[in-house]
Amino acid sequence: MFNYTFQWKQALARLPQMLDGAIVTMQIAILSMAIGILLAVVLTMFRLSGNRALSAIAKTWVEIARNTPALFQIYMAHFGLGSFGIHLSPFASILLGITFNNAGYLTENFRGALKAIPDTQTRAGRSLGFGAAGAFRYIVLPQMLRISFLPMTNQMVWAILMTSLGVTVGMNSDLYGVTQDLNALTFRTFELFAVAAVIFYLITKVITLGARLVASRLFRY
Amino acid sequence: MFDTALTAADFVFLAKGAGVTIIVTLISVLAGTILGILFGVFRYQVGAIWAAPLTFVLDIFRSIPLLIQLVLANAFIGTILQIRISGFTVACIVLSMYTAAFCSEIVRGGIEAVPATTRRAARSLGMTWGQDMREIVLPLATRVALPSWIGLALGVMKDSALVYVVQVTELLKSTQILITRLQEPLLLLLICGAFYFVISFPLARFGGYLEKRWSND
Amino acid sequence: MIKTKLAAGLMAACAMTAPAFADKLDDIIASGTLRCAVVLDFPPMGMRDESNNPIGFDVDYCNDLAAALGVTAEIVETPFPERIPALMSGRVDVGVASTSDTLERAKTVGMSIPYYAFENAVVANDKVEMTTWEDMKGKTVGATAGTYEAIWLEKQVNEWGEGSFRPYQTQADVFLALSQGQLDATVSTVEVANANVKSGNFPGIRVVDKAPMVPDYVALFTMRNEYGLINYLNLFVNQQVRTGRYAELYKKWVGEGEPANLAIPGVYR
Repeated sequence: MFNYTFQWKQALARLPQMLDGAIVTMQIAILSMAIGILLAVVLTMFRLSGNRALSAIAKTWVEIARNTPALFQIYMAHFGLGSFGIHLSPFASILLGITFNNAGYLTENFRGALKAIPDTQTRAGRSLGFGAAGAFRYIVLPQMLRISFLPMTNQMVWAILMTSLGVTVGMNSDLYGVTQDLNALTFRTFELFAVAAVIFYLITKVITLGARLVASRLFRY
Repeated sequence: MFDTALTAADFVFLAKGAGVTIIVTLISVLAGTILGILFGVFRYQVGAIWAAPLTFVLDIFRSIPLLIQLVLANAFIGTILQIRISGFTVACIVLSMYTAAFCSEIVRGGIEAVPATTRRAARSLGMTWGQDMREIVLPLATRVALPSWIGLALGVMKDSALVYVVQVTELLKSTQILITRLQEPLLLLLICGAFYFVISFPLARFGGYLEKRWSND
Repeated sequence: MIKTKLAAGLMAACAMTAPAFADKLDDIIASGTLRCAVVLDFPPMGMRDESNNPIGFDVDYCNDLAAALGVTAEIVETPFPERIPALMSGRVDVGVASTSDTLERAKTVGMSIPYYAFENAVVANDKVEMTTWEDMKGKTVGATAGTYEAIWLEKQVNEWGEGSFRPYQTQADVFLALSQGQLDATVSTVEVANANVKSGNFPGIRVVDKAPMVPDYVALFTMRNEYGLINYLNLFVNQQVRTGRYAELYKKWVGEGEPANLAIPGVYR
């Protein structure tokens, strides 16, 4: 049917290396999400603080993260910062780039979630004796995180997919980087990348299904 | 920093790259949206079980890095089917399917957001399925879907930065070519970033405005 | 009965899928264009002039080849890692992309006889103390993904067991990283190293030492099964040397002196 001989064995023989790469990919994604969520909470607090300078920082961050390509942000984290003499390893560059992106998008998600939490709740909290920070920490924040759980899952999937951009800043230990290295050695492009695609697919499926499971257990009431 | 070797010819070169970015985006968003509406309506109409194969295929486009989709499509069309088409075409095909995958979700969500009672009322007034879709579902679903669709279109524009991998010289690739020759990474990257921002920001704002306006009533 | 019908049908189908046999060489001549994969951030072999048009040794070589075939040349820029994928996916006809003729690659593509040979040099950032190539041990080094020197360097780093290796997508990114100090050292061809040091585009770098590698013979490449074209390429390379065009291009792009001997003593081909 095809005038092409598939050599799946060559690709499958490299599966262990690719799975090691998948673990690095997971590490980057999980770290960038964890730090990204923390940053997004901080940026949300900046936004709510009423302080002009702080909310301007949050706004700028969100708009740059959402209005430029992720590839650009990652390239900037490596070569842009490099122009100022700040040298990050490829791992740190890709982590920084994706974290920056995650934090921007998550802050925007949190903003949407906050709208769904009635003001009366904060007021009730305040009248129960919580300070402004306390009311945010104990009343608003938990609900905000719960409402944005689904968008966070989506962002996690994005983070996984974005790790593939690490090759542009010299990353070769993540799943895409490993695959590309192997491709440069053997040039079985289709076979190798097809295997990588299946691994990526399985990872994202495990995450979305896992998140659904967690959500159904956590948010039963 | 502003003492630069950048010439007018280089700006023309960058503008050409930007043109490619815009053309790829327009073609893909247009084709992807048409396909996405077809897929979305189909999926809603036949129900989850019968639409499962289509859902599965579309889901793949959302679960695999775009870079890999491009590499695989390029290898499959060129190496295995041995069809001679340009990298530009490959880029448009992949990005269109990518857009369609996300768009069909948006369309389905939009249709589902139209209350069933409203549609039943329309049908009981004697409207046909087509009339119901055109006169009732379309305007109401558009309100729900349009802001997300704008987000999607801008997302596709930003993701089109990856088509360099199939030898298409778009904006970011043009920038890299100039960096290679001029070695002014910061300035060039800032110009490139500013371009994306200038296009994306107002449209994103417009989307946010529509969302706000339409969700209040 | 049904079986024979089926067999006849299959045979007819096969006959239809097997076209009247025109090979790649015929296709190129018929189409009137020769599409060459060239790496354009690899001075002096491939680069761009002020108006961003492709120039360089490989670009001229492709033009010569096209002229010999009586067709027009089309330069398709490919980053190093994308050279062979571009050929395999039919995006180009021939690679004139300073491609090392490794046995691993020859499993996938067909290589001509060598048309050029590189020696490799170690280039370091000025702030890093280094006198011989062995001082790279324990340092952060990098090279262009998928090149001969990258494969060699990564192997060295693994053997040393210390330091780290980073592959970048383009030669320019490697030198950018080196100049910014993200990398301590890199290995690149002597030609590229000298051109980049001389250009002044990358301040703060210097050539340290030759890298102890077997000379990096590079070949033209095309589809593995296109013997007609490969034969043609071999003869073309031979003619380039014979007619003095090889030395001429060397002088034009690389500099004074003798171009590398492309014959390996003591063995055929």
